Amino acid sequence: MANLSLVNLTKNFDEVIAVDNLSLEVHEGEFVTLLGPSGCGKTTTLRTVAGFYYPDHGEVYFGKKLMNNVPPNKRDTAMCFQSYALFPHMSVADNITFGLKMKKVSSSEQKRRLHDVMSMLDLVGLDKRKPAQLSGGQQQRVALARAIVTEPQVLLFDEPLSNLDAKLRVQVRVEIREMQKRLGITTLYVTHDQDEALAISDRIVVMDQGQIIQLGDPYTIYRRPETKFVAGFIGLANIVKGEIIKREGHLYTVKTPVGTFVIDATDQLVADDVKEIEFSWRPEDMKISQEGDPNTLDGIIHQVVFMGDVTDLFVEVKGVKVRAQTDDIRKFQEHDRISFSIPHHAFSIFRR
Amino acid sequence: MTEVKQLKSDPTPLHLIIEKRKKRFYILLTLFFGLVQLLWVGVPIVMAVMWSLVDPANPWSFPDMFPPSISPHQWQYVFKYTNIARALKTSYAIAPIAVVLSFILSLPTAYVMGRKNIPGKKIFMLVVLLPIIMPGMVVALFLSRVFTSFGLSQSFFGLVLAHTLMGIPYMIRVLTTSFQAIPQDVIDAAENLGATTFVKIKDIFLPMIRPGLLAGMIFAFTASIEEFNLTFIIGTPTFETIPTILFSFMGYNFIRTNASVVALIMMTPNIIMLFIVERFLKSDYLAASLGKM
Amino acid sequence: MKKNKGLLGSYLLLIPGVGFILLFIGSSIFITVAQSFGLFSITGHSSLTLENWKTILSMQESIDSLLFSLKMGVLSSIGTIVVAFPIALYFRKGGVGKGMLGSIIKIPLFIPALVAAFLIVNLLSFHGLINSLLLALRIIKEPLRMLNDRFGWGIVLIQIWKNLPFVLLIVMASIASIRDDTIDAAKNLGAGYWSILLRIYIPLAMPGILVSMILMFIKAFGDFPIFSVAGPVYPTSLSVRMHLMATLHQEWDKAAVIGVIIFVTTFIVIWLYSRLGELVEGDES
Repeated sequence: MANLSLVNLTKNFDEVIAVDNLSLEVHEGEFVTLLGPSGCGKTTTLRTVAGFYYPDHGEVYFGKKLMNNVPPNKRDTAMCFQSYALFPHMSVADNITFGLKMKKVSSSEQKRRLHDVMSMLDLVGLDKRKPAQLSGGQQQRVALARAIVTEPQVLLFDEPLSNLDAKLRVQVRVEIREMQKRLGITTLYVTHDQDEALAISDRIVVMDQGQIIQLGDPYTIYRRPETKFVAGFIGLANIVKGEIIKREGHLYTVKTPVGTFVIDATDQLVADDVKEIEFSWRPEDMKISQEGDPNTLDGIIHQVVFMGDVTDLFVEVKGVKVRAQTDDIRKFQEHDRISFSIPHHAFSIFRR
Repeated sequence: MTEVKQLKSDPTPLHLIIEKRKKRFYILLTLFFGLVQLLWVGVPIVMAVMWSLVDPANPWSFPDMFPPSISPHQWQYVFKYTNIARALKTSYAIAPIAVVLSFILSLPTAYVMGRKNIPGKKIFMLVVLLPIIMPGMVVALFLSRVFTSFGLSQSFFGLVLAHTLMGIPYMIRVLTTSFQAIPQDVIDAAENLGATTFVKIKDIFLPMIRPGLLAGMIFAFTASIEEFNLTFIIGTPTFETIPTILFSFMGYNFIRTNASVVALIMMTPNIIMLFIVERFLKSDYLAASLGKM
Repeated sequence: MKKNKGLLGSYLLLIPGVGFILLFIGSSIFITVAQSFGLFSITGHSSLTLENWKTILSMQESIDSLLFSLKMGVLSSIGTIVVAFPIALYFRKGGVGKGMLGSIIKIPLFIPALVAAFLIVNLLSFHGLINSLLLALRIIKEPLRMLNDRFGWGIVLIQIWKNLPFVLLIVMASIASIRDDTIDAAKNLGAGYWSILLRIYIPLAMPGILVSMILMFIKAFGDFPIFSVAGPVYPTSLSVRMHLMATLHQEWDKAAVIGVIIFVTTFIVIWLYSRLGELVEGDES
């Protein structure tokens, strides 16, 4: 096992900069997810680590070893493809042991590892089947088995769950995470599904246009998005601009078009000379207000979307559309007046 | 789009050198390959052209690299003193009729093969391929016996039947693929809107198989023009087509110059058709219909 | 009831096409077999007999012809594949100038077999270009006999030249169905160039390869015109022998025996190749 270092990685395709001076440390045994919209450079980064692309600038290190000039078939990585990329003409057993054959692992060792990984992933009895005879979920597990059986230094995942139906996706992602924890392999995972990223990563790298926008553990990324982009990309967000009219230690009083808030800026203090800030809060942080609640917003309900366990409310506050989400079981109606309160610590001030 | 940022001091990294070498290698390989291609295909053709233009007054023989003088004499001679004009007429008379006939005969079969599931389909598919699989001369010799007993030997109609036989497999295969490609939804929609069988054929099926039809016609046409074995046995000596007349020039009385002329006459319409096919059709059609055997 | 009617209707629709073929090919095969056993004789004296078979099988010429034709079939099919496969791989990468090169290489496809035979004969004959060049460069002292040679090289070369594009198209279609992902996965798991070629490309392209080899074999094995033009005086190919026997010697019965040998061998080869295909595709242990 080793850690993975990307240093000033840049990759261009003709005139498009796909990866722009990207630096990242993935610690040994860590599960890091590259998350972002299509075209943000996450897959390009992954494929560069795999060796399918040569970086135009920058380096890739496995541990202390520089990997730039090492071709893909000589790198000790294993990749799980979005399309599974199983060898259609080979049986499940032959697919899984392919990497071992290439590594010239002994026949008896191949058998042992094959047996272990097949029972680990619930594939027992499917040895002789061909990929076409397997269900989507089974194919996915064979692809996973094929990758981990080689015990690589780095495990790579390229949106492996996109072709599965929603229920399976939720189930399999947990299995992948548990597997990875048990084996302790350094893992780089690419997805555009933010639920997936939040659920299984040690750290998330939010990317856009070839650059890292924010890097952190899931909790921090969700509760403290540092830019408008991150706030909007992960979960839902209400975003406003405001003017700091008073500072008391770490409590800022901020005047905004929808009202005046007192924000707890612990861990996100802003320089003294900055007056204008932009910040966000999550819809689910808006509680239906009662007497004495801080940071109240009064508005008229514009649209009610009942979803069973929660209700989405689109509210107009001083002419601005605000989105709230509540688990209150009241039956809401359009044109009702309503008041919300937001706790001091629910706000996230943007750095950039 | 942002511009490429330049890093300050950057000695050419190894992988860039490797990439440049790879590119150079591929370019060289392509050039070499292209050259070999050109020679492999071009030289035989150019030689034929040159031979056909040899002036009989100055015969071309070793060790000259080029014919000493050229003249259209051979061309005139061939047209005047041989039956080539007649052979041309025969070939180009039989081919269109054979193509039309094979289309008519193939259409219903292709429809069934393409859209219906009947038991024994695989066997029928194999039968369709028989004219191509069966060794040509065997079929020719013994079919001619059958023809003789029915008075079809040495007859124009007999030749047309034979050429049709050779065109049907291609026609059926291509049309089957075309029929398969029509989405059931489209047919259902037509029925839903009140189309009768006649309308379905006229306005749905026939127009939608048109690209395949064109391909099939070209293959069947080419098959007819090129057909040798059957024509040789059933048609000669009463009828001569371009292949049989070329054969006669290559037999015991091998006159290289005559043969060159005939060969070129035979080749040119085919090459023109090649470009038509390349232009207006996907060559995947040929590969797909033949490769799916 | 309706289902049966539909089925019957389908079968009826098959008659023009399939029926036509069955009628002609079927009667031809029937007559061939029948005449080989002495029936339907043109001399009028028909009787069921094994005489023809005994005679033919005992003649050395028949054996030699059979071996020669087999040789032509095998060499042509292997030769064409060996040349076509690397070219198909090259085209997969989408090489520069694919369009132009693609067109040029397809030209022999549209050149009739006899014309192709003539073109190559032109090149390879005593006074042809190849010999002239080699002599001029003083690589050889006398013109080489590349045609009508006992081994049959002239024929093989003509078959390869003429059929290369045909085989190429089929193999290219097979290779095109191989996804890039699959190749990437193999690389990722450590496969080098040769491993990928042997374990991925060839097995997955096998259907195309086998089809082309079968077709090539059949064409070359049963060939008549190309042999007549470029083949040796002895041994003759089976088809030529058969033709001579029938037309020159009017010994149709004996010719029929050879005819049966030819098409039975053809079917056996088809069967063998398809068995081979299943073997390669099915098994990877």
